[in-house]
Amino acid sequence: MRNACLIAWREFAENAKTKGFWIGLFLLPLILTMAIQIPILLERKGAPTRCFIMVDHSGQLAPAILEALERTHQQRVWQALSEYATRNTHAGGGPRDGAERDAVLKQLRANRPPSGDAAAGKGGKDFFLNQLRPFLNPGAPPFEEPRRQFRRVELPPDVSANAPISEQGQALKPYLRGTKQMQADGHPVELYAAILIPANLSELARPAEGAGASAAAGTRGIEYWSGNLADMKLREEVANIINGELRRREYVARGLDLKVIRQIENTQVRFAELNPKKEGGKEAVSTADTIRQWAPSVFVYLLWVAIFAIVQMLLNNTIEEKSNRIIEVLLSSVTPGELMMGKLIGIAAVGLTMTGFWVLSLVGVIVWKAGTTSAIAGPLLVVLRTSPLLPAFGLYFLLGFLLYAGIILSIGSVCNSLKEAQNCMAVVTLLLMLPLFTLAFIPKDPHGTLARVLSWIPLYTPFVMMNRAAADPPLWEVIGTLVLLLASVAFTLWLAGKIFRLGILRYGAPPRWLELWRWLRG
Amino acid sequence: MRDSGLCPKLFAVSAVLHLDHVTKYYGDFKAVDDVSLSLPAGSIYGFLGPNGAGKTTTIRMILEIIRPTSGTITVLGSSSALAVRQRIGYLPEEKGLYKKMTAWAVIAHFATLKGMTRRAAKLRAFELLERYGLPGFAKHRTEALSKGMQQKVQMLAAIAHQPEFVILDEPFVGLDPVNQEVMEQMIRDLAARGGTVLFSTHVMQHAERLCDRLLLLARGRKLFDGTLAEARRTLPRRVEIETEDDITPLRDLPEVRAIANGSHPTAGGSSGNPGSAQRWDIQLAEQADPQAVLQACFTHGIRLRRFQQTDPTLHDIFMHLVGAQGSTAEGQ
Repeated sequence: MRNACLIAWREFAENAKTKGFWIGLFLLPLILTMAIQIPILLERKGAPTRCFIMVDHSGQLAPAILEALERTHQQRVWQALSEYATRNTHAGGGPRDGAERDAVLKQLRANRPPSGDAAAGKGGKDFFLNQLRPFLNPGAPPFEEPRRQFRRVELPPDVSANAPISEQGQALKPYLRGTKQMQADGHPVELYAAILIPANLSELARPAEGAGASAAAGTRGIEYWSGNLADMKLREEVANIINGELRRREYVARGLDLKVIRQIENTQVRFAELNPKKEGGKEAVSTADTIRQWAPSVFVYLLWVAIFAIVQMLLNNTIEEKSNRIIEVLLSSVTPGELMMGKLIGIAAVGLTMTGFWVLSLVGVIVWKAGTTSAIAGPLLVVLRTSPLLPAFGLYFLLGFLLYAGIILSIGSVCNSLKEAQNCMAVVTLLLMLPLFTLAFIPKDPHGTLARVLSWIPLYTPFVMMNRAAADPPLWEVIGTLVLLLASVAFTLWLAGKIFRLGILRYGAPPRWLELWRWLRG
Repeated sequence: MRDSGLCPKLFAVSAVLHLDHVTKYYGDFKAVDDVSLSLPAGSIYGFLGPNGAGKTTTIRMILEIIRPTSGTITVLGSSSALAVRQRIGYLPEEKGLYKKMTAWAVIAHFATLKGMTRRAAKLRAFELLERYGLPGFAKHRTEALSKGMQQKVQMLAAIAHQPEFVILDEPFVGLDPVNQEVMEQMIRDLAARGGTVLFSTHVMQHAERLCDRLLLLARGRKLFDGTLAEARRTLPRRVEIETEDDITPLRDLPEVRAIANGSHPTAGGSSGNPGSAQRWDIQLAEQADPQAVLQACFTHGIRLRRFQQTDPTLHDIFMHLVGAQGSTAEGQ
């Protein structure tokens, strides 16, 4: 055992010294931080204001569209303002101050446009900023209004506003492609899109009414020109606005009251999400429930990355020792069994260090980004503390690692070079891909045929059972698959031990299957 | 059971290593064929043989890295080399080190595997590196060292735990003459401290200079096992003479087995010219005294320009034994 520990220590120390280990260690938290931070940054500052041209030949829609876009912008400003308020204010010196701040925040939320069209009357954002001032944290940054998402620019001088739509579209093409530069307020701008609304709008909007359909058949409807096919936000928003506006006009034309229509449009029924697994009176689905539902998926992903990474380490080390013939010196000092055990323990320790660090940093990043008392971080910590997720993760990590390690050691011991081994590894990699593909499906149907079948395949048991953990799979399945997994691990390691003993000193061509079979029997 | 338990102890007194009818098959291939040998303590023992003779396989069996198909091996009185691994040092044929580890760490790692404590192993590693001229390289990664230095580090890793029995497989391969000299000195140092060294080589000069005893293997079979002097005796002694006279009378001597025309005449002369000296290579019969040839020359009036008695080199013995074995094998 002393020898196994010495081997394990060397494996751990040497792997922990590699650049790859440290990069791997910090890459995941870094990616996570960036995944949280970058969309925020892009949303707040990075996303440029998109310039668009709108020509309204019908003369009916442009004001409505611009007004609606402005309303959306005001909503974003309000959203930013209330986030700013939550983030940068404190409760003040005493309980009274706290109540006061909460009152301001409440008022702020209540005046969220569009329901609070009155916000402007109350002084708008400046009014609330003034209200918030006494509660601001010392050193809080000034409030920054989010940039406008869209901005309407005028037609370039060489395109006539009265020309037919087809001509305008062609004339705007070079501007949209960027070969011609647009000017707005004396600055060059990039033209993002052009919206060309034809004159016969009412006909276009009602294609179902026989005669209108034939009249509209020849035209393309409202033309939305844009070189950017990925970001459809503007198109969607404008289409929604136009459709809403046209419908509203139809209602009015048919004698309905606009106020009534608004009311009807706002009709909504409340949904309460309830969880049948909880006790009476507490069935409401909380954030913690949602986290409990999705946390296993995160753990499966960590499990997968960790096993994949350290199994590679194991392969590299085994091949290094074999191709360097260090193995002979080792085997004159320790038994193959001790060597194998040492390697497994050492690499498992590397993996546990890595995953442990990842889990800690994951929690750390979320707590740091959201604050301990916030809506997500608090329940997350509770879930991690109370549910069996962490122990299950540890157990499945070890068993999964040992299972794959057995396979890898067998491959490593019969191959002479990394290149040779990588060919065999391709098969293992393919096998390992499957749990990644099913990652998203299993939580949605945790007791479905796919999930149940995969649970009973030992190679996938750790990933799939981890993934199903949130849905409380039947106890007999948990125990049954675990026993099968344990048996498979024992069998694989026994097999690997035999192949390792014989393969590790073998040079030249890898053994044929018949020969392998003879090794296993001998 | 008591009797068999006693046997290894008896060997421990007399022999460091004892092989008894050891045979190893790889599939249908017989790599080692019925080899028996006994290695006394305190000697330097050479394993000689052409490539594929079974030297490395035998060494691996001695170290219990692989198991013999049949036969028994006793090392330092134990039937398991792993049980006495702390007293054995091993340098394998193919030299390799952990590339990313520092020189001292490699030496210390292998020494701890052989039972030294971590502290002692570290101290020993630095001490050895200093003694063998590599103090500045202790903290270098092994991949940054030259090949000769790497081999030295590996040798130090093999002996850091001060084993009483050291097995070196082809220790001289890949070393320049200076480092070969250092390696020879290291081997002598080990023997001088009372250790037993077994090394394999196919370079006869090293064996000739170092070995007390040697084993000659070819195609898995033992061809010879004994001291260098005994090995010499397996080949008839040779006498080289140079003369202008007729040497026919010598052919009838009972001491002479064969006479061959010497390869080249002395400088300045030529075999075509009458009167010029001729060189002859005389093979003596076993146990014959070279003086008898000298005596005969004197009595028959053969005037000698040169009379040289040559001992067969290890190379000759090697070629003789291996060549004979090869031809019989082909004959079968």
